Amino acid sequence: MSIINYASREIQFKIVYYGPALCGKTTNLSYIHQRINPLNRGDLVSLATAADRTLFFDFLPLNAVVIKGFVTKFQLYTVPGQVIYNATRQLVLRSADGLCFVADSQWEKMEENVESFKNLEENLAKQNVALDEVPCVLQYNKRDLPNIAPVNYMEYVLNNRRKRLQSFEVISSTGQNVFAALNAVSQILLHKFSKQSDVPQTVAPPVAIPVQPALPQNEGVSV
Amino acid sequence: MTGIPVLTIEDVATLDGVLGDFLKKAEAELTVVIDRGGNVISQFGDRNVTDVTIIAALAAGSFAATRELARRIGEVEFNALYHQGNGSHMFMNSVDDDNIMITVFGPRTTVGLVRFYSAAAAQNVSGILKKLQRNGHGLEFTAADIAAAPIFTE
Repeated sequence: MSIINYASREIQFKIVYYGPALCGKTTNLSYIHQRINPLNRGDLVSLATAADRTLFFDFLPLNAVVIKGFVTKFQLYTVPGQVIYNATRQLVLRSADGLCFVADSQWEKMEENVESFKNLEENLAKQNVALDEVPCVLQYNKRDLPNIAPVNYMEYVLNNRRKRLQSFEVISSTGQNVFAALNAVSQILLHKFSKQSDVPQTVAPPVAIPVQPALPQNEGVSV
Repeated sequence: MTGIPVLTIEDVATLDGVLGDFLKKAEAELTVVIDRGGNVISQFGDRNVTDVTIIAALAAGSFAATRELARRIGEVEFNALYHQGNGSHMFMNSVDDDNIMITVFGPRTTVGLVRFYSAAAAQNVSGILKKLQRNGHGLEFTAADIAAAPIFTE
């Protein structure tokens, strides 16, 4: 749950990266940590096993824009994707203000994506929260791999609902659309937070926002 | 609890008073009040110790993780945890169902003293937090304020 402090003029938000095991949640946070101005971030904390699998969570605190004199502070968390760690996922999900669901685009991971998304809805329901109430975006990650499902298929499997979520084609290992997805969920939650309670979530485009062609970017991203 | 908690300047001053008094009596170095989701609500003391937001996230996780341990021996949760270091130590105690208080202290004091004074401090903090305004944060901004610049840039 966000907290607003009029003395320090800060607003805190919590965004949770959710998704199946090895889908790229930690890679998202690592990329953000590498690329964002060090003055605007804290340390990336990873509670991982010896094999670099997330055991508890990853955590990255960020400072963002100043709105009306208030500094917005975002805390990014990942959940452990492995099925057995559901109690930990419930804990990390507690009082989340925004969600970024990371799906693995590979065909063989589709069932795990669906299971994880269902698990997300179940865990939110245990906190008496419906997915529609939480700002959320979808990432279709690993779009650079050869055996991936088409975006339309992933939209049908994961985003086939009355109120569709904004979705992004992502390559988290190179950072493609990582910041776009983070900015989108942040925008949606700030809109929700603002007094304009009638502002709708950004209308989802007919297909996911595609990965940019691998040309030099303005900011010279080449990882 | 529902609604976004709002800490007014008066709330922060009151909390600072309670926490400052506690630190002085317990001779501890830093105290942080967090919610169980890991958000920092208030802090008082030596702010240069470390990144408090990271302490908050980890402490919330640690507190929640031990809840299951407590259940195994028939408790609802452990309402206090003590982490002993060589020179610096940490004491965490439950404020109420939604909040936790963390105290960092060194060799100048003892865990007994910190534990003794933290009980009363937690009760006072709980009283203040229960009265926080939650029915509208009063901070109005428009879509243009949000869209003026990308929130995060590479």
